[in-house]
Amino acid sequence: MIRYTLRRTLQAVLVILVMSFVLYNLIGLMPGDPIDVMLEGNPSVTPELMAQMRALYGVDQPLLVRYWRWLLAALSGDFGYSNTYFRPVLEILAPAMLQTVKLMVLTLAVSIPVSLLLGSIAARRPNGWVDNVVSVLALASISSPIFWLALIFIIVFAVKLQWLPAGGSAMAGASFGEQLTYLVLPVLTLASFTSGQFIRYVRASMIETLNADFIRTAHAKGLSEPTVVLRHGLRNAMLPVVTVIALSFGSLMSGALVVETMYGMLGMGKAVYDAIVNKDFNVALAGLLFATVVTLASSLLADLAYGWLDPRVRLE
Amino acid sequence: MTALLEARDVSVRFPLGGSWFGPRQILRAVENVSFDISAGETLALVGESGSGKTTLGHAVSGLRKPTGGSVTFRGAPVQRAGEKPIQLVFQDPFSALDPRMLVGDIVAEPLRIKGGFSASQRRDRAGEILGQVGLPADSITRYPHEFSGGQRQRIAIARALISDPELIVADEPLSALDVSVQSQVLNLMKDIQEKRGIAYLFISHDLGVVNHLADRVAVLYLGRLMEIASRQDLFGQPSHPYTRALLTALPRVGRGRRKPGQGASGEIPSPLSPPTGCVFHTRCPMAQKVCTEQAPELLAVDGRPQFSACHFRGSGA
Amino acid sequence: MSVASIQGAQAPRSIWNARWSRFRRHRLAVAATIFLVALGVACAGADLIAAALGVDPSTVDLFARFDPPSAKHLLGTDEIGRDVLVRLLHGGRISLMVGLLATALGGVFGVLIGVLSGYLEGRTDAFLMRFTDCVLSLPIIPLLIVLGAVDLAKLGLPSSWLNSPSVSFWRIVVVIALVDWTAIARISRAATLSVKHRDFVQAARASGAGSLYNIFAHVLPNIATPLIVACALTVGRVILFESTLSFLGFGVVPPTPTWGNMLTNAQELVTSAPLLAIYPGLLILLTVIAVNLIGDGIRVAFDPRSDS
Repeated sequence: MIRYTLRRTLQAVLVILVMSFVLYNLIGLMPGDPIDVMLEGNPSVTPELMAQMRALYGVDQPLLVRYWRWLLAALSGDFGYSNTYFRPVLEILAPAMLQTVKLMVLTLAVSIPVSLLLGSIAARRPNGWVDNVVSVLALASISSPIFWLALIFIIVFAVKLQWLPAGGSAMAGASFGEQLTYLVLPVLTLASFTSGQFIRYVRASMIETLNADFIRTAHAKGLSEPTVVLRHGLRNAMLPVVTVIALSFGSLMSGALVVETMYGMLGMGKAVYDAIVNKDFNVALAGLLFATVVTLASSLLADLAYGWLDPRVRLE
Repeated sequence: MTALLEARDVSVRFPLGGSWFGPRQILRAVENVSFDISAGETLALVGESGSGKTTLGHAVSGLRKPTGGSVTFRGAPVQRAGEKPIQLVFQDPFSALDPRMLVGDIVAEPLRIKGGFSASQRRDRAGEILGQVGLPADSITRYPHEFSGGQRQRIAIARALISDPELIVADEPLSALDVSVQSQVLNLMKDIQEKRGIAYLFISHDLGVVNHLADRVAVLYLGRLMEIASRQDLFGQPSHPYTRALLTALPRVGRGRRKPGQGASGEIPSPLSPPTGCVFHTRCPMAQKVCTEQAPELLAVDGRPQFSACHFRGSGA
Repeated sequence: MSVASIQGAQAPRSIWNARWSRFRRHRLAVAATIFLVALGVACAGADLIAAALGVDPSTVDLFARFDPPSAKHLLGTDEIGRDVLVRLLHGGRISLMVGLLATALGGVFGVLIGVLSGYLEGRTDAFLMRFTDCVLSLPIIPLLIVLGAVDLAKLGLPSSWLNSPSVSFWRIVVVIALVDWTAIARISRAATLSVKHRDFVQAARASGAGSLYNIFAHVLPNIATPLIVACALTVGRVILFESTLSFLGFGVVPPTPTWGNMLTNAQELVTSAPLLAIYPGLLILLTVIAVNLIGDGIRVAFDPRSDS
């Protein structure tokens, strides 16, 4: 098992290295280069000065050299400067990350219990009316464009009912409750988006588990329905569900980008989006890389957790 | 009688745990097996499951390259599948036929792969061969799922026959069928052999079936040949304790009580770590010290064409 | 199952009959098919509908901004007086085409990788699957945005050619296909592995068939079912990606309408004309639901176990 863990971790680190190179190149393919952006609209710039600047910042170096320099700096925690905010990249991304973590944790805190509940209820009587209602809801959830969902929530809850703010963040020093009101709609949007997928997995996994022989045995022993469903069913159905939740971090990050952009939240997603729009290369690169690391780490953890939880995997 | 097929010291080993780093284990599925098959002859290959029968069958037909030794057909080495007139019939008649193909296309597939036949020629040949194995002509426009297990095995035999092979490797062709159907397919295979003079390598664990069909019998245990002899000699005076154990396990009617102490007890050992010396010594009722130390050679018993890999060959009969 | 059907007396002439009748019993899938066909026909005939109603989708009429629904403008007009219905149909054309083409392109790529991986096994398999894991580990939307923002001129393509609308259309198709092939690759691989070890492949090899023959004659026909289902789900996902990208301004650019970029402006209109924000999204939602239902219907139709 230790060997398995080591091997998978090593693989993940390799993948991150490869991906950092790919992303570095992709960002390099975006329009313009950092010097253009820096000197944009400055009338006194001469071509000689441009060339000097390029040499100074090493932009004229071959790609591999530039990548190697960037990688060494990045490994020591230096991701360069943002050319729109003129501050180190980490100073911009750190608070944004906090905001995104808040959004994602709250989203999971809402969607996991809801999915477990709805999925289990639906699985008890497959094709019953409860199951049909839940399945249609889940289907609608995975089929709706998340930006449109946000738009609808804004129209209903912010514009028509005026219960909640349509976006932005609370003023500095606002009370905890007030801060929370700004998070309600984003969390609701992201949770509606993720729950559909979770519910479908919980339901499928529960139906399979509840058909197993040990469940029939539990019924035959005379255990009550809730005991059977919760103690024996849900616990065994959890394994694949945990994996799916861990694997969903990638789509959660994607969703967070859209939700943050829609509600004007200053999170990672919005930071990356703004960076790409404003050609803020260093921020975009660091943000994308970070999202990749989070996604990879969560799928690695899912794999390892599976190994720890399921003795059958461990033996192989 | 010259040999149609010669297998000489054939070994097949699989590396296990094929990761990029980490130790490998070697699974010795077949070790140094030699035998001949003459034209028109049936050699039965018997042994428990896991004895390497199927792997040996694949090596003979060219589906799997042996890691050691050689297989020659009419004196020329078998290098890859399909180059020699050797065909296969499989155990599971459900997995043997592509469910997405019409039966006519399945039967004619060897001709299609070989090339040189028009679609209508292939269809005609398929219909003809299907008739010979006792299926109606309209079978060619049906799908495999419309047929029973026995009928499917007939279709598989028709596919093997269409390219006029000289040797058919039949890998437990009866064991997935109902007993009543087994005898029909067995008789069909006998008829075909009489009419066409095809040789069979008939892989089976059922000695009763083997006694009906085989000319000679080879007994395989843990990938090694234990005994090879004519059917009469092997059934009449088995020379290897493992053969005797197999025969003792046969259900018999009205032939008296079994002699005690002749069956093989325990489980077949793992081919990953075979026993030292004679591989059968862990289960052998007459094992001695020499059996744990020295692997016996396959030698003739009393000058008969009956070969046995036992230090005490013949003595227990 | 009756005795007669076991004996094969009632065996259907073709497995397709049985599948079709199973599909028809899945009422939601049938309704979804009807909806999609109707939508497809309407989108394809958008110009005819526009002519019949006497409207031109690109004409700006500032005196007719936010007109309510009328006999001429069945769904009213947008913020610069263009007919909403005709624009929706034109947008649908793009969205549906992107959905189908990107799925086809990504599907070819995914099947290629998956079948090679599953058929060759060993190190090729390990390498291709790690590569798939790499792509799978990327956050899709940010990656799509970067790919959408890539300056193709830096790849040495002529900039005059790059500005044509058809390039912006094909670009989004390719960008999405580059990212969304992983699900199809994994499914193809698993299905190929299971088909490869069946005896009929061995039988063909014994007759001298090579890998290519086996892949085309045996593997591909036998993995078609899971592939079709996976493709249906992919079409739905691609439509969502396209709309998100176009909405964010990295996909198909105005004035060419798509369901996604029609919502870009609607965001500023949530107070004045909320209906404009509802129509395109509703169409995306219904289309993706329909595609998913059809995928479900096909899965049921191809699964003989669902007969009981």
